[in-house]
Amino acid sequence: MDLFLQFLTNGLINGAFYALSALGLTLIFGLMRVVNFAHGEMYMLGGVLGWFFTTHLGLNFFLSVALVAAVMAAFGLLIDRFLIERLRGEGEEPGILFTIGLSIFLANVTLLVVGPAPLKVAGAVPEGALFIGPIIVTKLRLMAVAVGIALMIATHALIRHTRLGQAMRATFQDPMAASLSGIRVARVHAATFALGCTLAALSGMLLASIYSAQASVGGLVSLKSFVVVILGGMGSFPGAVVGGLLLGVAESLWGGYVATGMVDVIGFVLVILILLFRPQGLFSSSSERA
Amino acid sequence: MPSDSRILLTLLAAAALFPLAVHDPYVLHIAILVLFYVVLASSLNLIVGYVGEFSLGHTAFLGVGAYAAALLAQKAGWPVWATIPAAGALAAVAGGFIGAITLRLKGPYFVIVTLSFAEVLRLVANNWIAVTNGPMGLAGIPQGFLQDKRLFFYAVLAVAAVTLYLCYRFVHSNAGRGAVAVRESRFVAQSIGINPFGSAMLAFVLGAGLAGLAGGFYAHYITFVGPDIFQFSFMASMIIMVLIGGKGTLIGPIIGAAIVTLLEEYLRDMQELRLTLFGLIVMAVVLFLPNGIISLAPKLKRLRPHAPARPVSADRGVL
Amino acid sequence: MKAASYGLLLALAASPAVVASPAVAEDEIRIGLIQPLTGSVAYNGKSVVDGAKLALADINAAGGVLGKPVRLVIEDGQCKPANSVNAVEKLVQRDKVVALIGAFCSSATAAIMPVAQKYQVPLLTGVSSKADLTEQNNAYFYRAAETDALLATAFSSILANSLKLKTVAYIAVNDDWGRGAVAEFDRDLTALGVKTVATEYFDHGATDFYTLLTKIRATRPDGIVVAAETQDGSILVKQIKELGLSAKVFGVGSWATADFIDLAGEAAEGLYAAVPYVSTLETPRNTAFVKAYEAQYGAKPGKYGAAGYNAVNIMAAAIARAGSTEAPAILAGLKQTDYAAPNGTYKFTDKGQAYGFETALVKIEGKSPKVIATAPVDAPH
Repeated sequence: MDLFLQFLTNGLINGAFYALSALGLTLIFGLMRVVNFAHGEMYMLGGVLGWFFTTHLGLNFFLSVALVAAVMAAFGLLIDRFLIERLRGEGEEPGILFTIGLSIFLANVTLLVVGPAPLKVAGAVPEGALFIGPIIVTKLRLMAVAVGIALMIATHALIRHTRLGQAMRATFQDPMAASLSGIRVARVHAATFALGCTLAALSGMLLASIYSAQASVGGLVSLKSFVVVILGGMGSFPGAVVGGLLLGVAESLWGGYVATGMVDVIGFVLVILILLFRPQGLFSSSSERA
Repeated sequence: MPSDSRILLTLLAAAALFPLAVHDPYVLHIAILVLFYVVLASSLNLIVGYVGEFSLGHTAFLGVGAYAAALLAQKAGWPVWATIPAAGALAAVAGGFIGAITLRLKGPYFVIVTLSFAEVLRLVANNWIAVTNGPMGLAGIPQGFLQDKRLFFYAVLAVAAVTLYLCYRFVHSNAGRGAVAVRESRFVAQSIGINPFGSAMLAFVLGAGLAGLAGGFYAHYITFVGPDIFQFSFMASMIIMVLIGGKGTLIGPIIGAAIVTLLEEYLRDMQELRLTLFGLIVMAVVLFLPNGIISLAPKLKRLRPHAPARPVSADRGVL
Repeated sequence: MKAASYGLLLALAASPAVVASPAVAEDEIRIGLIQPLTGSVAYNGKSVVDGAKLALADINAAGGVLGKPVRLVIEDGQCKPANSVNAVEKLVQRDKVVALIGAFCSSATAAIMPVAQKYQVPLLTGVSSKADLTEQNNAYFYRAAETDALLATAFSSILANSLKLKTVAYIAVNDDWGRGAVAEFDRDLTALGVKTVATEYFDHGATDFYTLLTKIRATRPDGIVVAAETQDGSILVKQIKELGLSAKVFGVGSWATADFIDLAGEAAEGLYAAVPYVSTLETPRNTAFVKAYEAQYGAKPGKYGAAGYNAVNIMAAAIARAGSTEAPAILAGLKQTDYAAPNGTYKFTDKGQAYGFETALVKIEGKSPKVIATAPVDAPH
């Protein structure tokens, strides 16, 4: 029983991390219909920038979070305004091919600039174990979960309750009507992409403070995030959370009771099963977006 | 379209003469790679270009073919001329199975589910040690009578010729025209009695089988097959070839395969900058040549069965 | 239409010819080096290249080989069989290298071995550790590295007798190297009466080991043998500490480096690691090597830096001994290798397996690897 509780806790914490790292992907897909294959590289850049600000420059963790958010928002804004803007209305394929090219480019530029070594990001709180009954967690992990939840709530509020969020939802429901009613559609697109990149980067930095940051991690993160997003239903925020938790717990229990060697297969098998029996995901994305 | 077949025949004839003029083994090696990728890109093009769905799981069939050929040659002692066709057949069976499941899905769901199948197969290859030797891979695959680069060249040329012939036949068959009609407008096609699932399925199985042939060839040529064959990097190369060359045309993937393979080799001189530049070039082509390099040849343009105007999804509207 | 198709033909025919432009300078000796420089093992591949470049600088400063300067032509094989084969084709045919060093991962090395044999170019690996590579009767292949089997033989008795382990659990990366290491240690430790209580594999790039470690903790092993590289390994040992496992942790991989110790932080203290090379070995040759390496790269060399350094030195010496760049002469030169490395002496068996060099068991104390014992790698029987 103790073993089961520990597996469940591991799964839930890991699942929260999965959900967090998939938020940016589901936002960009849900609102913009762009399948962002460079998502993992945005996550990676967040970790690498986090290393640069905390370890290399020695700045405070939370100041670094703000700096990473600012840099990546600007980066996302520029990429969308000057590059992705040109692909709008061309369907999904140019977007996919473009982001594949972007991911190759970003991963290798990073490799050139900071090298291939794993990089350490200083955490916000000291490392150390916490015992809750028979279960072990660490402060750092609990903090990451807390920050993750805060990020999710803030993003949700941004989309639901601000003028920008309103403009976003209007634009993606009916761009023509939105532009007729005075919304600057191109700006809304750029803001959405920037927000997606920022979320990916912040999750990357947060998790790099627990693990480590490295130029080559992007591909794996993209794959896991796709799984999470499909499980929950593309474009749905609550879906991403449920998808992440489901994946985390399923992997943990499979690893705990069957074999750890093939843990990664669980996510893909779940994706195939869910798409077979419930193609819209666990949370339908047609009625609710973000 | 006779001109289409004329270009293909001219290209194949020129390729057949190629080893007579060139003796440098390195150039032959590059030429073999180009033809190998012509097979892969053309087979993927059947799905991406003619069904109009974006498959990212094509490495599943490449890998199934490669493992099939390797195991048949190593464990059952089959000769090369039997293993490669068998690899194609097995991959086609896998294509039938996977296609029956995935072709019901559209758009991004199809993209991710095909990718998932390839990943599942990679993980199975990595862990089913009794059969695949797991991460250690299968080494020392016999090459049979293919003892010389030139023989390998003609072997892959034969596979490429079969591929192009079958693609040509498919495109000009009723099923192929049906597939194009479905791609352009599903509802119109259905209203005139085309079964969208049937023609898509045929393209998918054919594409899978041809990728399997390529995989079988790969196993004997490289003499090593490991789980990394299922990885995304092969997939990225293939998809870049099809889209850079021009999807939905027979010639496009050939141009794409030649250009991308040569580019990757040329860029070796750039050392560390190689992949960075490669990524930049891919982005530039998407931005500046959205219909592929083939759209540069104005005369070839009319061969294109229309620019692939995917119906703009209803919720996007027109920007 | 015709013009277009002929244009296409011309382009196709002409481009490989341009690629192949042979520019062979006879006034230098070229050695091809294939390492993963992009992708997930790029970090280790880069270290090999760094070490190799250092050796090259020494050799050329001393006047080169056969009176000519030596040049390393470095190619990225990405640790993938197909890419590594491409790299060999290019190195042999276009750059006309006289010898090859590579290709890191055993799978990639297995793929290029027949190619090297076909083109009759000597191939030396300083890293690939899968035992059966030297059992394939490939006369062109030499290995200047320990195999998993040799490492296991060298350290099993220390683990069983000196550290007095009764039960042991294995954690390894799920690839050819990880599985090979577990198989060899398992065999030797079982023969010495140590009981295996758990074996778990994880995929490269995994970040969360809590589930795996929760399972291991329930089996209460005395010792945990881990086969993992820097990135996975440093995260793993941190989580071992967090979960409060008290077992002695014994690692195989590039653990005795400053990077590893820095990444693992506090959790690195008290770890044991079996390494074919450690920078704190106190031999005059090693002190000089570490000093030169540190001056050049600002960090102490690890296992892979030393591997690159040794491989280039061994190959250059073989060419010098051969007196020519003909393959049979170089092979004969390799066979006579008696190379004094920072970590002992390298000699080759008839099958091309190196022996005679020292491997070290280190314990990490005060952020530095302390050598506890060294064991020479004997010729395999």
